[in-house]
Parts: sequence; C-alpha cells; structure tokens
Amino acid sequence: MEPFLSKLLAASLIPPFLTFWILVLWGPKIGKPRAGWVGLIGGMGLPLLLSTIVFVTWFFTGPEQRDALTSAAQNSQVLWSQLGDFKVTFGVKLDSLTVAIHFMVCFIAFWIFFFSIGYMAGHSDCVHHQSKYWRFFAYLALFGFSMLGLVISPSLLFLFIFWELVGLCSYLLIGFYFDTDYAPPAAMKAFITNRVGDFGFIIGLGIVFTFLGTLDLEGAAAAFKTQLAAGTGLFAKTVSVPILGWSFSGMTLATLMGIGLFCGAMGKSAQFPLHVWLPDAMAGPTPVSALIHAATMVAAGVYLVARVFRLLTPDAQMFVAVIGCITLTFMALIAIVQTDIKKCLAYSTLSQLGYMIFGMGVGAWTAALFHLVTHAFFKAMLFLGSGQVIEGCHHVQDMRRMGGLKSKMPVTCWTFFIGVLAIAGTGIPGFHIGDLRFGLGGFFSKDEILAVAYDRAFNWGRFESGGEHAAAQNGGWQIANSEREEASESVSLAAFSAQHKTAQPKGAPELAEQDAHAKQEGRTGEANGHGAGTAQEAGGHGAEEGHGGAAAHHASAKDPVAAGMKALPKWMFLFAIITAYITPFYMFRAWWLTFMGKPRDPHVHEHAHESKMMTLPLAVLAVGTLVASYALFRPMLAHAAPVAADAPLVVAVDGEAHDPAASLIALDHSADRNPHSKLVTIVGFSFLVGFAVAWLVYRKGLGIAERLKNTFPLNYLHTLLEHKYYFDELYGFLWVRGCRGVAAVCGFIDTWVIDLVYNLLSSVTERLAAFTGRVLDAQGVDGFVNGISETADDLAEALRRPQTGGIRKYVLWTVGIGTAVIAAFLLAPYGESAWTVVAERLGFGTHGG
Amino acid sequence: MLAIGLIHYLIIAAVLFCAGVFTMVTKRNAIGILIGVELVLNSANVNLIAFDRYHGKGAMDGQIAALFVIVLAAAEAAIAVAICMNFYKNLVTVDVDQGDALRG
Amino acid sequence: MLDSGCRVLKGRVILRLLLIASLGFVALPALAQAQAAPRVEPGVVYATPGGWFEAAMFYVFGGLAIASALGVCVSRSVVRMATWLFFALGAVSILYFLLAATFLAAIQLIVYVGGVLILLIFGVMLTSQSAWVRFTPTRTNLAVASLICVGLLICLMSVLAGTDFGPPSATSIGTPVEAIGRRLLTHYLVPFEIAGVLLMIVMVGAAHLARQEKN
Repeated sequence: MEPFLSKLLAASLIPPFLTFWILVLWGPKIGKPRAGWVGLIGGMGLPLLLSTIVFVTWFFTGPEQRDALTSAAQNSQVLWSQLGDFKVTFGVKLDSLTVAIHFMVCFIAFWIFFFSIGYMAGHSDCVHHQSKYWRFFAYLALFGFSMLGLVISPSLLFLFIFWELVGLCSYLLIGFYFDTDYAPPAAMKAFITNRVGDFGFIIGLGIVFTFLGTLDLEGAAAAFKTQLAAGTGLFAKTVSVPILGWSFSGMTLATLMGIGLFCGAMGKSAQFPLHVWLPDAMAGPTPVSALIHAATMVAAGVYLVARVFRLLTPDAQMFVAVIGCITLTFMALIAIVQTDIKKCLAYSTLSQLGYMIFGMGVGAWTAALFHLVTHAFFKAMLFLGSGQVIEGCHHVQDMRRMGGLKSKMPVTCWTFFIGVLAIAGTGIPGFHIGDLRFGLGGFFSKDEILAVAYDRAFNWGRFESGGEHAAAQNGGWQIANSEREEASESVSLAAFSAQHKTAQPKGAPELAEQDAHAKQEGRTGEANGHGAGTAQEAGGHGAEEGHGGAAAHHASAKDPVAAGMKALPKWMFLFAIITAYITPFYMFRAWWLTFMGKPRDPHVHEHAHESKMMTLPLAVLAVGTLVASYALFRPMLAHAAPVAADAPLVVAVDGEAHDPAASLIALDHSADRNPHSKLVTIVGFSFLVGFAVAWLVYRKGLGIAERLKNTFPLNYLHTLLEHKYYFDELYGFLWVRGCRGVAAVCGFIDTWVIDLVYNLLSSVTERLAAFTGRVLDAQGVDGFVNGISETADDLAEALRRPQTGGIRKYVLWTVGIGTAVIAAFLLAPYGESAWTVVAERLGFGTHGG
Repeated sequence: MLAIGLIHYLIIAAVLFCAGVFTMVTKRNAIGILIGVELVLNSANVNLIAFDRYHGKGAMDGQIAALFVIVLAAAEAAIAVAICMNFYKNLVTVDVDQGDALRG
Repeated sequence: MLDSGCRVLKGRVILRLLLIASLGFVALPALAQAQAAPRVEPGVVYATPGGWFEAAMFYVFGGLAIASALGVCVSRSVVRMATWLFFALGAVSILYFLLAATFLAAIQLIVYVGGVLILLIFGVMLTSQSAWVRFTPTRTNLAVASLICVGLLICLMSVLAGTDFGPPSATSIGTPVEAIGRRLLTHYLVPFEIAGVLLMIVMVGAAHLARQEKN
C-alpha cells in the first residue's frame, strides 16, 4: 500500500518530463494541433490520472493508517549522496498536505492545458516564420514536472531545486512572446525579483544546513525542536556563524532563518516589497497567467511557508503576518482602479495571496491552505474566463471598451460570475441546516482566516481554567479538550519557565528576567516569545471529558507556547476586514464592466465570440469550485494540521475543528461561538455591500466613476493607485536612477578632481621634460643609453641562439641541464676535495687549515 | 633477489623515465613525443604507487596522487592530440622540427 | 608490392600479439591472486610479499615494461611506437597489481590502454597520409640524446644506490577502492572537483582546437 502510493506520486513526475523532451526534440515534427494534445495527455493527463488514484485512495484511508503511511514514506527514503557526514536523502513526501496540493495542481493544470489548446489555436505564434507552438506546450510540461516535484519533495534541497525550475518555467512562459517589446522585460523582472527573494531563501537554507544539520523537512523540524529544548545549536545563548564570525544572541538567528526562508515565499508568492513582478507577468499568454500566476506557482510560496511552519519563531511568524497584511490591503486597493481585465485579476490574486500569507502568519495554517485550494479553483476559472474574453474580443484587454458581452458569451459570463461570488465570499451567513452551510469558496476559507485573526486580535490570552464547558460559558477560548487546574495566571509563562528551568538547571539570568516579565504580564500573555519553548506536559491532566486523550495531551503540551505568543495588533485585523469589503466591490466591477450594461465599443462587441474548446474547462472549474468549497479538501487539510501543530515555538490555530485531533486550539461549534456567526456582524454581508456599491457606481457605465475620479480627495487617491503607489517608480529611482546617480557623482569626481590633478601633473611633467630633454638627455644620457642598448643587443643576440623553436631541443637542454645538476650533486664530494686541493695550491685554503 | 622491494620498482621507473625522455628527444613525429610523455608520466606513477605501498601510511595518498596524474595525463593527451591535428592542419605535417615559428 | 605485403603480415603478427597480451593482462593477475589467496585474510587482496610468484611476475612484467619502453625508443614508425607503448602500459598495470593498487591498475588499463592509446592511434590516423610515415633524426641528435639519457640513467641509478629508504612500513592494505573513494570525497574533495572542472574544460578545449575551420 505505502510503496504503491508514494510510487504513484513519484511516477507522476515522469510523463511531464518525458513530454517536455519529446516536444523539445520532435515538436516541429509533431505539428501544430497534435503537439498540444501530446502536451495535454503526457504533460498533465497521466499525472492527473495517477494523482486521482492517490487522492481517492487517501480520501478513503483512515487517519491512523494515513499516519502510518506518512511515516513509512518518510522512512523509505533513499540515500542520494553523502558528503562526509552530511547525507542527502531522496524520496517522496506522502501526507495529506502533499496529496491535496498535488491533486489540486494536477486537476487545475490539466484543464488549463486543455484551455491552452483552444487558446493557442487562434494565436499567431510565429517568429520569423517559425512556429513556437510546440515550445509553449514543452514549457507547460516542464512546469508541470517542476511543480509536482516541488510538492512531493521531502527535503528542502529538492524543494529548492524544483523551486528554481518553477522560476525558470515562469521566466520562459512570461517571455513567450519574446518578439514583442513588453514580454522580455516582464520576464526579466519576474526572474530578477524572484532572485532577490531566493537570495533570502538561500541564506535561510544555509542556516538550516549549518545549524540543524540536515535539509530534510522532518529532520530539520526535529532538530529544531531538540535544540530548542536543550538550548543548544541555533538556540544557544550566543550563536556564532562559522566562517563569517558573526555572532547572534538567543533566538535572533532562528528568527533570521525563518525570515530568510519566508523571503523565498515572498518572491514566488509576490508579497509586498517583491510584488512588482506579478502584474507585469500578465505579458505571458493568458493560460499561463491562469496556471502560474493565479493557481499554482504563486501557491508554491504559501506551500513553502506551510512546510517550514515548524521552523518559524514567533517574531518570524509576526513578520509573515505583517507582510501578508500589507499585501492583502494595498493590492486590493490597486485592483479598484485597474482597467485592464487581466491586471485587475492579477492584483486580486496578489490580495488573495496576501490573505493566505496573513493566514499563515496568524497561525491559521489549515485555513490558509484551504483558501489556497479554493482560490486556485476560482482564480483559474476567472483567468480562463478573461482569456476567453480577450481571445473573443481580439486582444482587447481594456474593460472600458467592453460591456454587454453577456449575450455573446453566456457561459463565460456566468462562470465568471460564479468566480466573482466565490472570491467575494458569498454565502448565507448564520444559516445552516444541520452541519450544512451555504456558501462558495471564500465564504468558508477566507472567513476562517478572518475568524482566527479575530480571535488572535481580540480574544488572545484569555486562557481560562476549567474544562470545555467553563470555557464555553466564559465565551473565550477553550484549550482543546483539556482540563486545567492551575490558576489562570500560572497558565502563562510561569509554569512553563519552571519547566524550562528544570530542563536547564543552570538557567541563564535572562530567563529569570523573562520569568518575572511574564508574571507581570500575566493573563494578557504578551510576554515575548523568547522563552517559549519546550513542550510542557504538566499542565494537562488528561481528558476525562472531551473527545479523546490524545488530543488533550497534544493540546496541553502547547498551552504555554500559545500563552507566550503575542496578540495580533488590532490594525491588522482591521485591514483584513476592510479588504473583505473591497474585494467584492472590484470583482463585481470587473464582471459588470465586462459582461453587463451596454456595449461601449460596438466594434469589439460585434466581433466577440465564444470558443467551445475553451468553455469546457470553465464549466469544469466552476463545478470544481463548488465541490472544493465543501467536501474534498478541508477535512484532508485539517488532517495534515498536526504537521503544523507540532511546531515547538509557534501556534497553529485551527479555526474550525473538523478533526479534533488535528486542532490545537479549537473554536467551539456551539451556535454563539461559531466563527461564522461571530463574523456575521463584521463581514458576513460584506459581499452584498460590495456588490451593491459597485452596482450603484457602474450600473450606467463609467459616468459616475469618471465623476468620482475627479472629485477632490478621490482624484489624488486615484492617481496614487493608478501608479501602484509609485513602486515601479520608486524601484526605478532607487536602483536604476540610484546607480546612475552614483555613476554621475563618480563621473564628476573623475572630471573635476582626478583629471584636474592629472592635468596639473602632466603640465608639470611637460615642463620638466622640456628641461631634462634639452639639457640632460641630449647632452649626457644618450651616449650612456646607446651603450646600454648596444650591450643589450649583443646579449640578446647571444641569448636567441638557444631559442631555436624546436621543442625537441628544449627537452634535450632541460634534461641535459637536469642531468648535469644531479651529476654535480653526486660528484660534489669528489669535487669538493678537488677544489680544496686547488684552493690550497693557489693559497686560498684558509678555511681548511 | 627473490624478495621484491621498493628499489626494484624504482629502477624500473628510472628506466621508463629515461626511455621516455629519449623518445621525446629523438622522435620528430608529434605523436611520438606524446608517447614519450606518456612513458615519463607512467614512470612517475610507478614511483608514487611503489612509495605508497612500501612507505605509505595506509591513507592511499600516493595512489590518489597517481590517480590525479592519470586524470591529468588523459586531459593532456586529449589536448595534445587536438594540438597535433591543428599543427597538421596548418603545416600539413606532424614533423615538430617544421614548427619553429617561435625561433629567436 | 613486396614491401607492402610484408607490412600487412607484420600488422597481422602485431594484432595477434596484441590479442594474446590482452588475454594475459586479464588472466595473470587472477593467477597471482589465486596463488596469494590461501595466505591472506579473506577480503584482503594483494600479492604475497616475498612469494616466488610475486618475484616471477615482477621480473617477467618489469622486464616486459623495460623491453617495451626500449622498443618505443628504437622503433621508427609511430604505429610501432604505439604498439610498444601498449605493452609498456599493460606491463606497468601488472606492476600496479603487484603493488596491491588494484584500482589504479584497472584505471591504468581503462584510461591508458583503453583511452589514451586509442586517442593516439586516432591522432596518427588523422594526421598523416600514411600511417607508416617516418622522420629520421640526425645521427648527431641520436648520439647526444643517447649520451644524455644514459647519463641520466646512471645518475638516477647511483642516487638509488646511495639512498637508504629505511625499512618498509608494514601497512595493511585492504581493497583500495573504498578507501580511495572515501578519501577522494572527503580529504581530496577540492582537488577532485577541480579535476572534474579541468576535464570539462579539456573536453571543450579539445573540441575547439580540433574543429574544422569553416572557410
């Protein structure tokens, strides 16, 4: 069973790889329509088949058996290479996270490949009369290979290798129209921006390698935990970095490691300072935008954070949250003013990625991954819909010239609308029949992130004594299924510190300080995370009541960690809420401007049409969005949550505990404390508000929007947003102009300082030369010099004789001289005595006597 | 005579070395010179391995040095044959005495 | 006609000799091991020091090495030289076997006898109109070369005769492959990598040098 599943996952890498080479080598021979089908079947069809088998098998496998399979796959890794004591292992990661993401990638990629055949059919892809149709599908297959490899990598090293391959594919595909003006710079921008992120990633990897001693994900996490408990390695009081000689105290280096690893995710998932490449990446063909820049590749960053979650420190996690929060808010604002349909979607992607990263940062591990999956479905569908529109309108991308396309492309219109509903988080809040609630995509996944954020911001630290019922009565957090007996104050760091001290008898003074600090802070639990560390098991007294002993044990071990975490700053929650209102607005705006109202450009409207080949993927993904929102992924991801809950330093909060064993700190299911019902009043109807405002503004075309744009405070805001907060200008100024500025300063110094000195020197030299030349040189030196030159000439004449150019003679001379030297050494004893005799005869032999 | 020691191998190496040098000096064919070089390198290798066998510390240093020599010899042979072919292309002969363009 | 016939015949003789010699290179080390096997621990393979078979092997193949080296010296055509070189290199590889350097011996056979020699033959074939082309050196040249080389040999011999190398250290020698591999990937990792880079550069460089100019 186990080898079967992990072998299937490994086997899913082979068809795309072979397809890539087949298309590279025989692409032109296979021809235009057929190469696409080869790419579809080999590149994604077969992996999808394998992935479906794995997914279905996994779905029907019990939790214990899944854990057994996971550890069996972990233990059956192959030694790939060994350098000294460092072992690089090679294998397949088999757990719920991998299975879910693998299936998601295969499924979405398959339908996007399918769409691509239709999309590329209507495109001229010739450069200098040479088709590059097959090349497109070769790149897609390579992308499939890299992405699947990334997902199944059990070690950070292989993850990094596939990571870079994915980056390469992104570069190749964005720059697919390399004969245009705009694609190559966009491709380069994407590549270089990703390199900036990967630089951080490599530093993170270096720290992992140096201090944790392994790049295997499980091994690194285990080493992290051990070192934290023992206060050694990465967590020693002073850590010095080999070779560089820098030293860090306490947890600084661990935080740096976490931030470094996150930098990679920042690049690939286009988070705030490195977000600039994603909108430009729309230069690629639209299926590529759907595949890479909406559904899968950008998800790699979130996936990475999910994988290295256990290596984060509280500070690093807070950094993640801040970056995510900034991204989600500011990118959503830009999306409001975009007129290009693809750019609008690109900014919405950035915003949603921000949500996922933010979710990771606040500890909503499961929710963020759930959002990743639902977002992948509906965003792929939205992008394919925009591709359909662009293709149908003959490459018009400006929404201002569209409108009224509903009659021309009904399927696209309504699938796009489903996407809009999903991203807006549409649902019926507060209403449910049994466990069944009604909603789409973001209604479940985004609200779950928001629910966790809400509790992290407002309810954090309210750890109460007593069991489940007491906690429920108090309306605060309950600590899953555990019963606590300590006073509420001691629940926080105090108990933990005591434990820590027993583990480390010679506790450092700073620990004691922290202890005091923690006691002061008491219930708010705002002690910084420095001391939070080892598992403390004294707290939980088992679970007489509740769902199960294992869960209680698990949870109670984490209490002090949870208590040591900072509460989320309230502004971050506020930003996320505001964005929840903005998202429906701009998405509805995009949909309305494109499909509804009156046609604004009759020419575009007349020629618009819908392609059958391209409507099928839209329909399938629409159904997929519905299904993904409910049944398939959420429980599976929740099952993977112990991976994150195992983190020794940070807390994974499971917003909605479908699987009690998986949730660390669970929200209750009872009616008044349901996250959705909690959020009903805050964001429950945000989608209606957003839709209504957008409808009011755009229902009669662009007139009202134009007027709004020109009124006082909004006009400045509009300009700011239209220029994307001037980030491109800022980077242009900082890096490009900055370089030129430095060059100009250098040039100035060169002209006015160095040249001046040289000119001065040269004129002085000239005067001096005139004097010496006329007086000294002509009269005295010439004769002497001529004499030297003649001597040199004679010498050269003598020296060039052995320079015959014949290599054999050189060898002969070399060996001859060598022989002579050896002979001289051998004969030296005799020679010495002979010399002594001669010297004595001549009367020099003073040393002898 | 029966017990073979270090000195025996060193003598063979010395003979090989001299034969190689002689070949290098007397052959006018470029490939012949190359053959001489190979002999010389081999004699060095015999030395290295013999010393490793009789006076090594069990760390295989001599053998590894010999291994590197073999690697370098292979590289050298490849380059040298390429040079020979270039030489032949330019001068239509492999007589090294013809190639004295660097004569002083 | 007669002349060329002779050459063909000689070529056949040489071919047969080559065949026999190759068989010998494979068979004799196996014999040596078979002779040595009863006296040593299992897993440790080296020619028994001081055994009569070692001495016999040494004298036969040492002699062959010297004879072949001299053959290289005296033969005039490049093909003959290459043939003699083949014998010399093969004999030296047997010496490596006797020195317990089994891995090096194998490498010697593979790289030298298999690779370098083929390369040389290719060089010969590609660079001359006739494979039997000769350039005779002058008598003076020969005389000077002989003088210096014999002098060098005498010097080296007297150095050897005058040097006391001390008693051999009795290091036990296991199978060298694993030890060499371990050492290469740990202590000698950097030279190893540099050698790899060098080989790649050589590959590119040789291809570049030998390539036909487009005219």
